[in-house]
Amino acid sequence: MTAGSNVNVPFSYLDRQFADVDSYLADVRELVLSGDFTLGKPVRDFEARFAAMCGMPYAIGVGSGTDALILSLEILGVGPGDEVITSPNTFIATVGAIAMTGAKPVFVDSNDGFTIDAEQIERAITPRTKAIVPVHYSGNVADMPRIRAIADRHGLFVVEDACQSIKGTRDGLPVGSWGETAAFSLHPLKNLNVWGDAGVIVTRSAELNDKLRLYRNHGLANRDEVLMFGHNSRLDSLQAVIGNRLIEQTDFITNRKIENAQRYDEAFGNLAPMVRIPKREPNVVHVYHLYMLRVERRDDLLRFLTARGVDAKVHYPVPVHLQPAAKSLGYAVGDFPVAEKDARTLITLPAHQHLTTEEVEYTVAAIRSFYGA
Amino acid sequence: MCSFSGSITVTANAPARTVPYVNLAAAHTKLKAELLEAVAAVIDSGQFILGPQVEAFERAFAAYTGASFAVGVASGLDALVLALRVLGIGPGDEVITAPNSFVGSASCIALAGAIPVFADVGDDYNLDPDAVVRAITPRTRAILPVHLTGRPAQMDRLMEIARDRSLFVIEDAAQAVGATLADKKVGTFGDIGAFSLHPLKTLNACGDGGVMTTNDRDLYERLIVLRNHGLKTRDDCVEFSGNSRLDTMQAAMLLVKLPHVDAWNSQRRALTLQYRRELNGLGEVVLPSERTGEYAVYHTFVILAQRRDDLRRHLHERGIGTQVHYPVPIHLSRAASELGYRVGDFPVTEDQASRIVSLPIYHGLSWQDIEYVCNAIKTFYQGDEA
Repeated sequence: MTAGSNVNVPFSYLDRQFADVDSYLADVRELVLSGDFTLGKPVRDFEARFAAMCGMPYAIGVGSGTDALILSLEILGVGPGDEVITSPNTFIATVGAIAMTGAKPVFVDSNDGFTIDAEQIERAITPRTKAIVPVHYSGNVADMPRIRAIADRHGLFVVEDACQSIKGTRDGLPVGSWGETAAFSLHPLKNLNVWGDAGVIVTRSAELNDKLRLYRNHGLANRDEVLMFGHNSRLDSLQAVIGNRLIEQTDFITNRKIENAQRYDEAFGNLAPMVRIPKREPNVVHVYHLYMLRVERRDDLLRFLTARGVDAKVHYPVPVHLQPAAKSLGYAVGDFPVAEKDARTLITLPAHQHLTTEEVEYTVAAIRSFYGA
Repeated sequence: MCSFSGSITVTANAPARTVPYVNLAAAHTKLKAELLEAVAAVIDSGQFILGPQVEAFERAFAAYTGASFAVGVASGLDALVLALRVLGIGPGDEVITAPNSFVGSASCIALAGAIPVFADVGDDYNLDPDAVVRAITPRTRAILPVHLTGRPAQMDRLMEIARDRSLFVIEDAAQAVGATLADKKVGTFGDIGAFSLHPLKTLNACGDGGVMTTNDRDLYERLIVLRNHGLKTRDDCVEFSGNSRLDTMQAAMLLVKLPHVDAWNSQRRALTLQYRRELNGLGEVVLPSERTGEYAVYHTFVILAQRRDDLRRHLHERGIGTQVHYPVPIHLSRAASELGYRVGDFPVTEDQASRIVSLPIYHGLSWQDIEYVCNAIKTFYQGDEA
């Protein structure tokens, strides 16, 4: 905490979430003594619960959200020579996953809700396009009905990057409902978080389910029969044990985040144009993995809040198409005006489930005072 | 038989004792308190991704192997894939490896986009350097020797072959942590060493994990970035990559275990001496040999046995677990069908695949267990069970 502030509003909540660590450790102790560390009962249980939570028939536990994307794309046959469309205002892993398959990432600008602008997708489609990876960025849900229709019209696969949107819905349908698969992350900062890296793929296809189970585990049909050269990307049993406990908290976590977001929305509603709230769609359940606002004098505000103990962040100051890693893709400043402007004006406020009312109001007051409101 | 315990009656239905092939639970009982303490410390810190425990494990593992640097990753397979990628090996390139290994030794090459090329092994179960020379083509970029069963491959000759032809060497040391050749640890001969920390390994995480070793600072610095989305800092992505991090939780537990590895390896070696004493002179089996100057760590204790499948059934009926590592060589697996190999391409590997059997060997196996196993093997061949 910086001198002068009397409240500290942390971005991360892991110390609060696991304050009662003993009950978790009891489960871990049981696992350690069972020696069942690889794809055992805890993983099967977790997969069944996760599938049920998502309203999907199949869930496959893997090593990370990134791996969930890579395995999904590769099992659909995406590889060298193919193009995959996504948006540039995402965590780098979405694009890294596409590049890891050997395919070329192709960007389409984002919209007011931080998801891919469906309007512009068809212009980016070429004969080499194989798939679209819409990102349900920040916990919002992309315009999936339109994206699915475009994909069907052009014979493309859809892999939903749902890493930030566990429990998100559109038109009453959960994320994962539209894609061939959807990729989830259970990274420690996600709405359903475990104690290290982990991810899940959901699918409605029995065939993809079978193939992905092989593909995540060395292509092994059984101990001695290798059907394909595969990855080793398994959800750790240890993480599944933690996940089995935390999955029961997912509704609580999601609801608390939504409540915090609604309070912020209400508090900042009259601060335009200094503070602009993204358009909220009534038919979407946005789960606010990140609570982001477009603000004037963003960097000054960030410093101001940091000095007052409010742990605000920027996701992310450099859009993916302008990262050094993207150099060979040949994009330039100006190619994606929405994503680029967002990179300069977005700020992310702490909105997690362990914030107290006092902390939320402190943050609100700090921002109002910054803009002299 | 069963002279050690005359009170126990042996029948087919109720074995005198059971000797499972592995017992992971037993291995963790002694360290339980320390392991849980390490886990609790990670939880208290709230830092579950990378951080001090991962760095401490990397430093300790580098010091243990004598390598300059170590990098923790998500699995042994990822360690191999990242090694190939960081060396720039990809589509169009060929990499030579052994066909008698776990599939990971070949799938890593396919995952990197390159072509796995196999060379036959010798009676040490490791790459035959002469066969490697014959497998080299203008497209060969690297040799990927496997220290299978925990026995060091012939690194002196393989390194010479690689040096002469400017090939990279990536050591698959997944089964061989602590093994040495002329007092030099495996994983430090080639450009990069790749270790698995899978639960069945001697140095084992409670889940998947891997670690890489190298003496090259440039490779090390790139690997640190490649295993973490290509991120140099939170906001600076210098190279597209995946996510392959050793979990902090696993690193914390591995730090508890690493100091015990040498003791665990010498316990395994002591168990092999017991096997050798008991099975000495039995003509139907061939025990693993050892060259002078090498220190094998016996991840598996593999013998060549006549009528192997019958022997396994016989042992199974007596409560003794065995395994075959591996019954189908990689070049004959369905995964390799596109590579165009056939039965007969690697006669030594294929002959071994029909005769090898791995006997129980693990921390906690008792002198009596081994005597029981060996007596059962002897009765199988000598038929004097009574």
